[in-house]
Amino acid sequence: MRGQITRRLRGSRSRARLSVVALVVGLLGPSGPIGPYDIPLYGTPKAPAANGHGRLVYADSPFGVALTKDGHTVYDIQITAAALPAPSSLGAYSTYVAWAATSDLTQWTRLGSVVNGNSIVGPVDLNKFLLVVTAESDSTSATHAGPTVLHGISPSALLQKFLTKPAFHGIAD
Amino acid sequence: MRLALVAAVLGTPFQIALGQQPPSAPPAMPPGMSGMPGMGPDSSKTPPAASPAPTTAMPGMAGMSGGAMAMPIPMPKGMPMVPGLIGLTPPVASFLPGAGVDPMKLPVVKPTEVARLKNGDTLDLTAMLLRRTIKGRTFVMYGYNGQTPGPLIRVPQNATIIVRFHNRIDLPSSVHWHGVRLDNRYDGAPGVTQAEVRPGDSFEYRVHFPDAGVYWYHPHVREDIEQAMGLFGNMIVDSPDPDYYSPANREQALVFDDLLVNADTLIPFGKEGPDFALMGRVGSVELVNGESRDTLRAKTGEVVRFYLTNVASSRTFNISFGDAPMKVLASDVSRFEREQRVSSVVMAPAERYIVEVRFEHPGRYALVNAVQAINHFAGEFDPEVDTVGIVTVDSAPATPDFGSDFAALRANAAVSRDIDRYRPYFTKPADKHFTLTVDVSALPLATVQFMDVDTAYYAPVEWVDAMPDMNWLSTSKQVHWAIRDDATGKENMDVDWHAAQGSIVKVQIFNDPKSFHPMQHPMHLHGQRMLVVARDGVPNRDLVWKDTVIIPVGSTVDLLIDASNPGAWMMHCHIAEHLGSGMMTILHVDPAAGPPAK
Ligand SMILES: [Cu+2]
Repeated sequence: MRGQITRRLRGSRSRARLSVVALVVGLLGPSGPIGPYDIPLYGTPKAPAANGHGRLVYADSPFGVALTKDGHTVYDIQITAAALPAPSSLGAYSTYVAWAATSDLTQWTRLGSVVNGNSIVGPVDLNKFLLVVTAESDSTSATHAGPTVLHGISPSALLQKFLTKPAFHGIAD
Repeated sequence: MRLALVAAVLGTPFQIALGQQPPSAPPAMPPGMSGMPGMGPDSSKTPPAASPAPTTAMPGMAGMSGGAMAMPIPMPKGMPMVPGLIGLTPPVASFLPGAGVDPMKLPVVKPTEVARLKNGDTLDLTAMLLRRTIKGRTFVMYGYNGQTPGPLIRVPQNATIIVRFHNRIDLPSSVHWHGVRLDNRYDGAPGVTQAEVRPGDSFEYRVHFPDAGVYWYHPHVREDIEQAMGLFGNMIVDSPDPDYYSPANREQALVFDDLLVNADTLIPFGKEGPDFALMGRVGSVELVNGESRDTLRAKTGEVVRFYLTNVASSRTFNISFGDAPMKVLASDVSRFEREQRVSSVVMAPAERYIVEVRFEHPGRYALVNAVQAINHFAGEFDPEVDTVGIVTVDSAPATPDFGSDFAALRANAAVSRDIDRYRPYFTKPADKHFTLTVDVSALPLATVQFMDVDTAYYAPVEWVDAMPDMNWLSTSKQVHWAIRDDATGKENMDVDWHAAQGSIVKVQIFNDPKSFHPMQHPMHLHGQRMLVVARDGVPNRDLVWKDTVIIPVGSTVDLLIDASNPGAWMMHCHIAEHLGSGMMTILHVDPAAGPPAK
């Protein structure tokens, strides 16, 4: 079901929309304070200086809040990246690609190309996910093969488990 | 299913409540209920913070027994109650409709009837006590003209009707005509446009319908009680253009709601002000047209046009009809510029959507609300699917076959042309910046302890009540929701907001994620229409005129208001308990000739 929606959103209309969004973001930039739905992106030993962040915005929807039929929120990600080295400096690579991966790393979805500066990728409809940017030889490849240069986790992955904590008894120290 | 309603909408005979005599005398208003709205604090009886539970059952809580009162809130499966909250009750006196009234003397709720009215017609609309059975349990609730939902008012566009409202319930009330751009004095907002209608009193409304679409009426007094107990109804306004919407074999209004019950009891309301003030009251039973499992029949290939309304106090729905294809045609105050294929409908409180669904194959289609809830204790998402109706599709083919019309997605050039004159203003600087936030005081310590550490991630939208114990124990005495004017720091009714009639007002509203308990807010503006031109800086590419817009936590929306209708108009959150905790302000649209002389 979610796959269907992802495919639908990836249609030509979706690309047209992303280019409009890209234009606007290109003009304004995803600036402003880092909000709760931003994803700090960290470099790796392959690209230690690389940095950036992703900002979750709702994918286009007539309802404003984009959901799949089973209730997963559907986001586009506005990525701002800096200090990405030339992909060719890491090997036989020509481009950077963003991926969303489930936290067990079993499911990877290609989100789109990433450059230094601003990029819009998506959509992603996972409750919790890792955002990973890799160097690739082909921006359309369906599987990730190259080295990772940036990574981060979705804000929802910060949800804490309180079940086992003996707190909240209402007694002040 | 409301077969009567279906038949009526299809054009078969229907009953009109014209000239209906209201019941003779209202039930007595309980003590402490005077001075609405807000129902004058009865502080002599209520401590300032959550109080230890009494050793006897709470009034209205038949079925609760034992020593210390058990938690009357059904907790989600596998969710422990926070230990520090056990035994507490909210610091308000409890209220349920019909105290002291013999339920067996009340009428049983009737199915919705269609009141098909023409220009100049009069309707008597009586808010009254009635008996309703939900999932085998009978409750004393409210309804209009003995019905829940109330009469479906169907009128031609540009008609003006007279509605004689009679209040025969045990609370003051009024009728607000949600989304209708009518004369300000008939807007039904006590304290702003009229005095509340006391029990036993009446008020005459003249309701003018300038826009085609689906609307709803409800009280604008203690919505957390009156609306939740059954006071709501639809209005469908028909365009003179027979080809206004893509053709359908049939029309059906579906009103989505929920009700909070525990075993055989309703959960009492706060008498002096709302309980469940943090998240709003989220029901444990989801309802469609007042029923917990609505059923509908269709023919193979039938295209059904659904008029969807969310009248719940707090719940946002995500509705789908099995795997039946669906397209969305219209929302609050207009059609979309372009129809879109959708897999589900996301609908916040008070929003409406008009969709068409084609039932292509014989069989059963489940009408479901499907969301990804959050279990805050496990730190995990928790899928929830609630089946609120079943559509049984017979093998007989629908005639005529509208399959090809359904497959096409229309562009509504008239809508785009109407919006064209507003487009130059889409990117102008905002005239007003608001921040949505909350202040709390005197909440139970365990609630504060939990909330303070559960701050790593806020759901942009709370789809369920994941913390019903903390929520129940929060009341409008402790929780103060605010619409804050960024320029002045003033909040809610202290904000000074004027616009000249005919001006185009851009408002930017930011839902602050850093407050004590951030939550989505469905913001409603009375009496005008508005466009959501951008969300989080991303332009909206398929516009529709709205009166209610959901603003998730952390989001910023840019609204363009067509300030064409003079008067004092409320803008407020449509989560009834947020409204009841202060979250409202007023847009004064000053008549074109200038403000009236003092
Ligand atoms: Cu709200």
